[in-house]
Amino acid sequence: MAEVKTGQFQTASAVAMLDPQLRRALDRVGVGFDVARRNAIEEVSSEAWEEWREEARNIKIHTLDHLDYYLELLHDNVTAAGGQVHFAVDSAEANAIVAHLVQSRGVKVATKSKSMVSEELELNPVLESLGVDVYETDLGEYIIQLAGETPSHLVAPALHKSKEDVAELFAEKLGLPYDDDIEVMAAAARVALRDKFMEADLGISGANFVVAETGTLVIVTNEGNGRLCTSAPRIHIGITGMEKVIPSMQDLAIFLRLLPRSATGQRISSYVSMITGPRREDDEDGPEEFHLILVDNGRSRMLRDPKLREALYCIRCGACLNICPVYQRVGGHAYGWVYPGPIGAVVSPMLTGLKEAKALPQASSLCGACREACPIKINIPRMLLELRHRTAESEDPAEKASSRSERLMAGAYGMLMNSPGRMGVAASIGKVAQNLIPGMSKSAGWIRKAPLPLLSQWTRARDLPPLPPKSFREIWRDELGKDVAQEADGDRG
Amino acid sequence: MTAASSGNIPGTSKTDFLRSVREALGRDSDGSGGAAPPSHEYHRLEETLPQLEEQAAELGVRLREKRPQLLDRFAEMAGRGGWNVHRVSGVEAAIGRVDSLVSELQAARVVRSGQSVFDDVPVDAALEWKGIDVAPIVQGENAPRGELRETIRQADIGLTGTDYALAETGSLVIVPRRGLSRLVSLVPPVHIALVRPEEVLESLHDLFLLRRLEYYRRGGEMGSYLNFITGPSRTADIEMTIVQGVHGPKSVHLVLIE
Repeated sequence: MAEVKTGQFQTASAVAMLDPQLRRALDRVGVGFDVARRNAIEEVSSEAWEEWREEARNIKIHTLDHLDYYLELLHDNVTAAGGQVHFAVDSAEANAIVAHLVQSRGVKVATKSKSMVSEELELNPVLESLGVDVYETDLGEYIIQLAGETPSHLVAPALHKSKEDVAELFAEKLGLPYDDDIEVMAAAARVALRDKFMEADLGISGANFVVAETGTLVIVTNEGNGRLCTSAPRIHIGITGMEKVIPSMQDLAIFLRLLPRSATGQRISSYVSMITGPRREDDEDGPEEFHLILVDNGRSRMLRDPKLREALYCIRCGACLNICPVYQRVGGHAYGWVYPGPIGAVVSPMLTGLKEAKALPQASSLCGACREACPIKINIPRMLLELRHRTAESEDPAEKASSRSERLMAGAYGMLMNSPGRMGVAASIGKVAQNLIPGMSKSAGWIRKAPLPLLSQWTRARDLPPLPPKSFREIWRDELGKDVAQEADGDRG
Repeated sequence: MTAASSGNIPGTSKTDFLRSVREALGRDSDGSGGAAPPSHEYHRLEETLPQLEEQAAELGVRLREKRPQLLDRFAEMAGRGGWNVHRVSGVEAAIGRVDSLVSELQAARVVRSGQSVFDDVPVDAALEWKGIDVAPIVQGENAPRGELRETIRQADIGLTGTDYALAETGSLVIVPRRGLSRLVSLVPPVHIALVRPEEVLESLHDLFLLRRLEYYRRGGEMGSYLNFITGPSRTADIEMTIVQGVHGPKSVHLVLIE
């Protein structure tokens, strides 16, 4: 399994926030993906969007509640189409299945299209140890592979790299003259990988969905590498988490409307490829063998947990990353495992252990933007709170969220929230203080550094919003509250 | 198919895997490991073949009534999806447009799939007359794997028809046929596709209804693939700058024959 570095969140995020290049990259994500997503929703109307979200959520609830039934149906239909289904309880088993297929079929060259589950399994080193030349073919993944790094975003894995970084990498690893023109670099990747697609014995893909009714694997892509990986080699292995099953092919009508719009703001991606079994006798080409590996790797722990089961509804669109104020500051690598951002802060602790990842549920302002953006309406803030609760209440000292400043801040927050009077007094003091105390550093509307001993520990890895000229309590008292009171009076009169 | 080799493949048995899933769901009371059907039925999987046929018949009527609007909508959405859309009337005009596109693109070699649309719209003669090398993939004549591939790799243009076209998304949808390589629409740098009016559907919902109908009519055979193609290949993986034509075609043309 991929190395777990979730315990280093605080250090890693502090370092990440000081990286100006990462700052620029993350700004592009916030602006690019999220604006595109909003425009795409506006085009179909927010009413229609809400209906689709609701329907998709209901399908996911139903499927996960009957996961055993749909996995069996999927198994039967993949088998009927001439494919083989394998079940892996953990990453070691999944890797062993791939290793067995590679060795028994004499695979020399493998091409991969993007698969987050294969990142989870850390499959590439296993293939390399068996002497297989393995090539990531999604441009972002290819860059990451050449650089020996891991993805930093679910949809745009290499977003932390500048075009100059990529140009240097291509110059060094591919022996090309340095050229940081993005078109030129994309063309270079096309040339470098074209032969590999044709040489490969094995194509490995993930799956965005697998359809139980027909035994169909669905991948949503833009570059065409997914189609090449699943068309050209003689063997295709699809690897996916067991939660990706959906009941009917008809359900795709909803999911294909939600996923591309949420991920990149596209009405639909350039390609959607649906694969059902190996090539048939009458087909002109296509793989002779089709294998589907269904992976648990900790997912049944989430399934077992009624309060966290809905994290399995995730379709990995990345919308919650693009909108998250924390992700936008620290980037994907700080989260320390395969899945970053708000959904990662739930999934990583569940798949790798809360002990190590106990800082992740704290990495949220609970602003609720992730839940709003989620096409499946997953209540991420509720689950983060639940995990915080567990770290606070844990009997295991290693799992307990333990920093003194955190406990004190949480305690003070609770004290203030429970008493409107105290809150008012504290806010008045704070407003005056933030302008008087020298060294309170503000930028872009956030307090980046607080000089007071307690607050400075808190703001070392966090930004505090400065207190507004008028608090909500004051606005309520002076303006909004009056209207409500008047309306109430009017109703009575 | 590979029963001999599947005996010793590592992994967990289906029975054990499903049992652990059932345990996690808190529903494994008898420990038998058999799958429990959903406690309430899922309406889509309850649909019978006659019901699907009835829905498809209604769909047919709706599509005929709305065809002119659907063609406009499809052309508009295909354009927004990145296709260069050419609307032409009749077979002669279609052949003429393909011919002029091939000339404009200064292509020397064209690989053409063996779909039925080319029986109605015979483009080969016009292209060959101009000295262009047209390699049709002949139905039922499986060329050796390497040979077919090399032909496709050498081609400047891949020419195909389509099985469906979706007004909702501007997509073409292709399913396997004799004479249709998966690679013709993918490997050459340019893809030109011919679309006939009767292939245009309104929505994703229409498409999946028809595919499911076909699946049940054929006794549970879906065909090995179903490909949506919407515009050119693209990537935004470097600094979120969109580049066309990374692994698939850079330029895509759609000739809508009315």
